[in-house]
Amino acid sequence: MQKGYIFNIQKFCLHDGAGIRTDVFFSGCNLRCRWCANPESQLPCGDERSEAKCYTTEEVLREVLKDEVFYKKSGGGVTLTGGEVFMQYEFAMELCQKMHANGLNIAIETAGAVDPEKFSALVNQLDFVFIDCKHYDTQKHRQGTGIGNELILKNISWLVQSGKAYTVRIPVIPGYNDSLSDAKAFAELFVKLGVKEVQLLPFHQFGEKKYEKLNKKYDYKGVAQLHKEDLKEYKELFCASKISAAIGG
Amino acid sequence: MENYFGEMTPRIQKFRNNLLNTTPKICTERAVLTTKAYREHEMDQVVLKRAYMVKEVLENMSVYIEPETLIVGNQASENRAAPIFPEYAMDWVIKELDEFEKRNGDRFEISEENKQILREIYPYWKGRTLQDKAYAAYPESAKTIYDIGIIRNEGNITSGDAHLAVDYESVLKYGLKAVRDRVQRILESLDYTVYENMKSSYFYKAILIVIDAVESFAKRYSELAAKEAERAEPVRAAELLKVSKICARVPMEGARNFPEAMQSLWFIHLILQIESNGHSLSFGRFDQYMLPYYEASVKAGMKREEILELLENLWLKTLTINKVRSWGHTRFAAGSPMYQNITIGGQTADGKDAVNELTKLVLVSIGRTRLPQPNLTVRYFAGMDEDFMRDCIRMIKLGFGMPAFNSDEIIIPALEALGVSKEDAYNYSAIGCVEVGVPGKWGYRCTGMSYLNFPKTLMIALNDGVDLTTGKKICKGVGKFTDMKTFDEVMAAWDKTARMLIHQGVILDNCADMVVEQEVPDILCSALVKDCIGRGKHLKEGGAVYDMISQLQVGVANLGDSLAALKKCVYEEKLLTREELWDALVNDFAGERGEEIRQILLKAPKYGNDDDYVDELVVKGYDTYLDEIKKYKNTRYGRGPIGGNYYAGTSSVAANVPQGAGTCATPDGRHAGEPLAEGCSPAHSMDTHGPTSVFKSVSKLRTKEIAGGVLLNQKVTPQVLSEQKDCEKLSMLVRTFFDVLHGYHVQYNVVSRETLLDAQKHPENYKDLIVRVAGYSAFFTVLSTQTQNDIIARTEQVL
Repeated sequence: MQKGYIFNIQKFCLHDGAGIRTDVFFSGCNLRCRWCANPESQLPCGDERSEAKCYTTEEVLREVLKDEVFYKKSGGGVTLTGGEVFMQYEFAMELCQKMHANGLNIAIETAGAVDPEKFSALVNQLDFVFIDCKHYDTQKHRQGTGIGNELILKNISWLVQSGKAYTVRIPVIPGYNDSLSDAKAFAELFVKLGVKEVQLLPFHQFGEKKYEKLNKKYDYKGVAQLHKEDLKEYKELFCASKISAAIGG
Repeated sequence: MENYFGEMTPRIQKFRNNLLNTTPKICTERAVLTTKAYREHEMDQVVLKRAYMVKEVLENMSVYIEPETLIVGNQASENRAAPIFPEYAMDWVIKELDEFEKRNGDRFEISEENKQILREIYPYWKGRTLQDKAYAAYPESAKTIYDIGIIRNEGNITSGDAHLAVDYESVLKYGLKAVRDRVQRILESLDYTVYENMKSSYFYKAILIVIDAVESFAKRYSELAAKEAERAEPVRAAELLKVSKICARVPMEGARNFPEAMQSLWFIHLILQIESNGHSLSFGRFDQYMLPYYEASVKAGMKREEILELLENLWLKTLTINKVRSWGHTRFAAGSPMYQNITIGGQTADGKDAVNELTKLVLVSIGRTRLPQPNLTVRYFAGMDEDFMRDCIRMIKLGFGMPAFNSDEIIIPALEALGVSKEDAYNYSAIGCVEVGVPGKWGYRCTGMSYLNFPKTLMIALNDGVDLTTGKKICKGVGKFTDMKTFDEVMAAWDKTARMLIHQGVILDNCADMVVEQEVPDILCSALVKDCIGRGKHLKEGGAVYDMISQLQVGVANLGDSLAALKKCVYEEKLLTREELWDALVNDFAGERGEEIRQILLKAPKYGNDDDYVDELVVKGYDTYLDEIKKYKNTRYGRGPIGGNYYAGTSSVAANVPQGAGTCATPDGRHAGEPLAEGCSPAHSMDTHGPTSVFKSVSKLRTKEIAGGVLLNQKVTPQVLSEQKDCEKLSMLVRTFFDVLHGYHVQYNVVSRETLLDAQKHPENYKDLIVRVAGYSAFFTVLSTQTQNDIIARTEQVL
């Protein structure tokens, strides 16, 4: 049986998919987003500073099944998130198979910078995909996250063609991708890729305290949060390109 | 969104402001009139003496009509003034005369003149009050337990019972004249050679005296309204003349329309709270029995806003009623609550949705007045319309803790299992806060007898029957924790000790009931509950159709968490020795090692997180209670009612705070003096996995056997309910809890921590800030600092 590192299993999540859901947070990430709200997820699996615990797939399954009654009534399920789920691909794969066998609805949140073969194989086990696109420009993407966006765009392109239900998410970060010309460029790219569903996630500061705790430098310290109303015009530029856009999860 | 419920009319707004700005006073009118009546009727049978008392009070107390009101009738010489009821208890009143104004919470003003009046009547009452007689009657062992306070039943011998809903439906329909006629007929046919008949005859005569007194009382208002109309400007004069006519008719005759029914209802509801100072006097299923009058008035052209204004007027009237309790008892019932419950929704006897137009107007009007009274309960059932659910959630968002949901899905089968007929079970209503009864057919205190402190009981069990706090021997010892080699021995000690204390609790309750029966029977209240008149017995003699009562427990979660910590840390993982743990508990975790031990205990599994390890121990610990309590009978057993027994309930009201204050450190890591968990809610801040996990943990209790109520509070901050789709998810959450997990009750407290902290600093800005203390709402600013801190400390569920 596969074992994996999970840093949180959070019940009653309302903003990461349909209905009442449980979010399973996977440890480890291949991106280094400078604004990351879960910096603890960037610690490698097994790192002693991490509070992540080692679980078997069976243990995770048992934990998420505890709220099965709530998923059923509300049309909810489980959302795999992180970190980057694909960093523990085999573990995730086995877990998804087990959850499917139990009739659970599964969604994933991924940054998508992963091997396309693995991407398609795991996505085939899922009911819904949230995939991030943090920047349309690969140079800028590298500046903000440490890697370019080529793999991500490739996976988005495949996802759109696959017929799987999905939403592309843009974390809107002040001074990075929040100008109206950024929105325009995103929209042009999405039209090209055939993306129809977009969610805009306004920058927030819920993770600020975690940097202090981890004794880690935080580039966005003190930067003001964005709110729904700040992204009104930004959002309209997507609608103008016939892309359905929503603000928030 | 804020205006979904609309605004009160200016006059109602003004009435509300006046009430909120009133500093409660102590009123001595009832005390003086009662003393006079008792003195004059010493020779009479107690039921007659009680009736003459009601007559004396109703015919001579001050009556007034507020300039804004359309419904008349006052409890004391001023609104929100608390009458003194000397026949129940006087010692504490005299002892605290100079303290009422200095209280930290539930403050009352009292004039020097009134203090003098009370001092003058005091000598008459010495040795004559319910409390004096009950205390004298307590067997020795029970007295010790009462004195130490491990079982609290002070409320049962210092005030009346109430905790019921009378048969308002029949009063509204037929009027009190019908009752008078029936009683007169019975009285004329009685053969006095039969002992029971002779005994009943005094009860019947008492009913006639009381009904005549009610008639005079209504007449006084009719005359007053007519007189005030002479001096009023024309619009108000017309209103007063209408009021005068209504009071000339009801409650003696049947009501014909909505205004008459509302006035009739208020007269009865008010007079019952003049007759006795019991609380939790509830309205029952208001939206059902009021419907015909509502429909008649709408048909006759009464407009929606007029109906709403009258409803709002009634809710304000419920807030004019007040009660002063001893300081010791106040801490168990913070916020001077009257728990006047009103129940709406649910199903009809044939399983159809009972929500009607009036149901919705009740919700809207209470959403406008936003007061802690009345206490609104919505009966949930699986077929509940989603639109109505949405309206309920809109009210929850207003943040005054209402409505509470009680679920038909578990309560109806639980009542049927207790022997309640199907039709009556479908007609249940909430009484007070979470507990339930059948309106008009169920005797006093379906719940609300004594409180048993679970964690303290556990500590006594582990200390050979001795209370650590007082050093007194409470019951036969079963050994010391330091000698208990296995966890099974711990469980056995709990089981034996809890049973002994439950046994003592029943002795206290039955003794209190015996003396209440002898000393302070309620005549009007008994006349309006089936089948007291048919049996010729008042309620405490066994007049009610159903008479089952429940005691309460405090700290259910602390018990389970403590057992889990002992099992895991001492017996399984051996992280702590018995000696070092016991030493830490006795010393309240003093010193560095003490804190280390406390941290180890805190890491043990905690109830409220859907963890079977501890949840099963909560159930097992509680099973002792369930198994023991059902062995006992109350004082009405075999005297007529169905039942006559005890059952379980978990509504601890605010008792968790004072009970915690007198409880030493416990193995769950709780410091000495800290509050205990309330109802069946998890211990403070110990539920770290969100609301679904809390629901799962709670649902593991044997809810169907805890028919007295399983109280669960959940707190949410307002901003998390800002999106409609989040509200829908809340609806799904609640529906799952009730439909699938068979939950009993839940209520939401939607306030932010910041708001509460600010309200502590600036109470003057938060006069209308209402919070759920436990099972009811109270003004936050009148609570003691300790209770405020307790509320703030509770985990905020992230919705």
